[in-house]
Amino acid sequence: MPGRKKGLTIFLLILPFLVFLFSLYIGTTPISPSLLFKTLLSPLVSSWKASLPESVYDIVFAIRLPRLLLALAVGAALSVSGAALQALFKNPLVNEYILGISSGAAFGAALSFVVLGSRVPPQILAFVFAVLAVGLVLLIARRSDSPIVSILLTGVIVSAFFSALLSLVEYFASPYSLQALFFWLMGNLWKAGWTDLAISLPIIGAGVAVLVLMRWRFNVLSMSDEEARSLGVRIRREKLIVLATATLITAAATAVAGIIGWIGLIVPHLVRMIVGVDNRRVLPLSAALGATVLLIADDIARSLASFEVPVGIFTSIIGIPLFIILLRRAAKVWR
Amino acid sequence: MPQTKLIYRRLLKITAFAGLLGFANLRPGQTAIVVTDSLGREVALPRQAKRVLSLQPEITRLIVALGAGDRLVGIDFFLRTHDHLFKIVYPGQERLPLVSMANYSVNMEVLTGLAPDVIFGAPEDPNVIAALETKTRVPVAAFSSMGRFDNLLDELRLVGRILGRDDRAAELAAAFRNHMAALKARLADIPPSGKPKVFLSFWNVFTNTPVAYEPVDAAGGVNVAEGLLPSFAGTLNAVVPVEQVLRWAPDIILLQGNYPPDRRTVTVAAALADRRLASLRAVKGKRVHYTFGFWNWWDFALAMVETSYLAKLFYPDRFTDVDLAAEGNAIFKMVYGIENGYSALCRIIRCDEWVHAR
Repeated sequence: MPGRKKGLTIFLLILPFLVFLFSLYIGTTPISPSLLFKTLLSPLVSSWKASLPESVYDIVFAIRLPRLLLALAVGAALSVSGAALQALFKNPLVNEYILGISSGAAFGAALSFVVLGSRVPPQILAFVFAVLAVGLVLLIARRSDSPIVSILLTGVIVSAFFSALLSLVEYFASPYSLQALFFWLMGNLWKAGWTDLAISLPIIGAGVAVLVLMRWRFNVLSMSDEEARSLGVRIRREKLIVLATATLITAAATAVAGIIGWIGLIVPHLVRMIVGVDNRRVLPLSAALGATVLLIADDIARSLASFEVPVGIFTSIIGIPLFIILLRRAAKVWR
Repeated sequence: MPQTKLIYRRLLKITAFAGLLGFANLRPGQTAIVVTDSLGREVALPRQAKRVLSLQPEITRLIVALGAGDRLVGIDFFLRTHDHLFKIVYPGQERLPLVSMANYSVNMEVLTGLAPDVIFGAPEDPNVIAALETKTRVPVAAFSSMGRFDNLLDELRLVGRILGRDDRAAELAAAFRNHMAALKARLADIPPSGKPKVFLSFWNVFTNTPVAYEPVDAAGGVNVAEGLLPSFAGTLNAVVPVEQVLRWAPDIILLQGNYPPDRRTVTVAAALADRRLASLRAVKGKRVHYTFGFWNWWDFALAMVETSYLAKLFYPDRFTDVDLAAEGNAIFKMVYGIENGYSALCRIIRCDEWVHAR
């Protein structure tokens, strides 16, 4: 690896930690660096904890830390999922939601908010229907002669189907259920707590680890099936593992944070522009850069105005023009 | 932003044009009252309207309160399906045909067949109001109180004029003012520093709060989000960061309780157990309560009951003599002419568990 590329790789890998530390300072309540430092170390030094204002301790440990950690996890999950699926489908326009995950999750959340009320949390139904949507795609496309094209097209159809169901539920919803659903659909991290992390982090952590560990194989999977087979790869099994893992981590991320668009499409492209198309680097760096991008977007979302702007709006606002620029510049990378 | 200005100008032109059409839409022999609605349009509305369609629940309830429920010719989906309150105050709603899901999805053919003299809508989308007016050729006015008592009373007066129920509107307005004046008199000696700071969590999202809510002010509290910039244009709600709630350090947190319990996604139990809010005085002192809140804008009777409830909640020692169940039922009787209406509502939203438990 040339020195410059190696330097960039190391920088991208440590970037989320730097942004994470910086993000701890950002918030509605000003907390000085020394107080923040003292607060972070206070669980270890009991005399420090006793001298802290209680609200500062709660802001750091109950509000900012879980939120930032969730942003890291969700950003990494969406980006890795997007990078893996792009490599698998050999298509740069594929994103983490292409298999109907977002519309399935949205429909699940809508059912929870509008039909079931408080009986079933939206996170559970969002996860179940996201997985169900992908299951449906795989079931419909399983006997096709060209499975990749079939899966992509079926993903579009299943997405449209769940979107129609979502519209139907929205149409019959009371304005009050709609408000809650509307806010969820726009993607946000305001509810993040340690419980959300405890539920989603094991799935996301394990899934991201599996995909990153498989990074060597993505280069082989990106070849034609015949070439991959000749190298001894069990294509069907490998593809299924990738699809299942990408689905699980995206569904887990979407269930806790709502629909946060464009991360899984843009970040892998940015990484390829920086370090090239070798998936051995694209996968882990997508995780790092995805986590960084979502952290920054969330910093903007929670500090731009007196009110909170759903972070999904920012990722879309930033993502769409960025994607246009990338499309113009990156054509040669994908050629 | 020239494009935004252009769109805004066009919208104004459309609504102004539609407003002018209102004059042409009056039936022969009808005399007109010219009013300025919440969209700022001059609209000519018929006096003594006999057939009325309201797509704005707050106004529909006012029409019933004015004793003109029998003039309603149709009903919207919210009132028919989701509004437990309207079923209590106007059982006659069952006979009314359904004309829309909300004011943005009206079945124009059904509506034309009902031949209303006037249509009331919500001011959320000027295009909808303009389309209603041009397609049905019926005068349309858009009103809402936007969390202000004065606006609610203006609405009452205007609807009273249009229905030829000016005396009843004046009677209701006087009762409302007297109610508020009596509360104010009891709280007159409380200095601003002695008033509790209140955070309101409405619309089923904890951090969604109204930037104006007069029952809190009238009950001697301070809405910590008062005057904040709304998150959504043309609405009252601001979605604030949780940190902001901690920074405000409210003495009391009020959650919208105007739902049957199984429809509440923000609950007192969850707020009290939320680790992020643990340092708040309101949480430590277990001063997290339900209140009624908006119910597709307001309900005239419930706004009065809620103000009494909040005054008693904020200053329990000063209102020991107030029996909220009796007062609530008396207010519902005065406004809607029904017996035990407030108790019936409480059975649905279980407000006896939070209003009368203290």
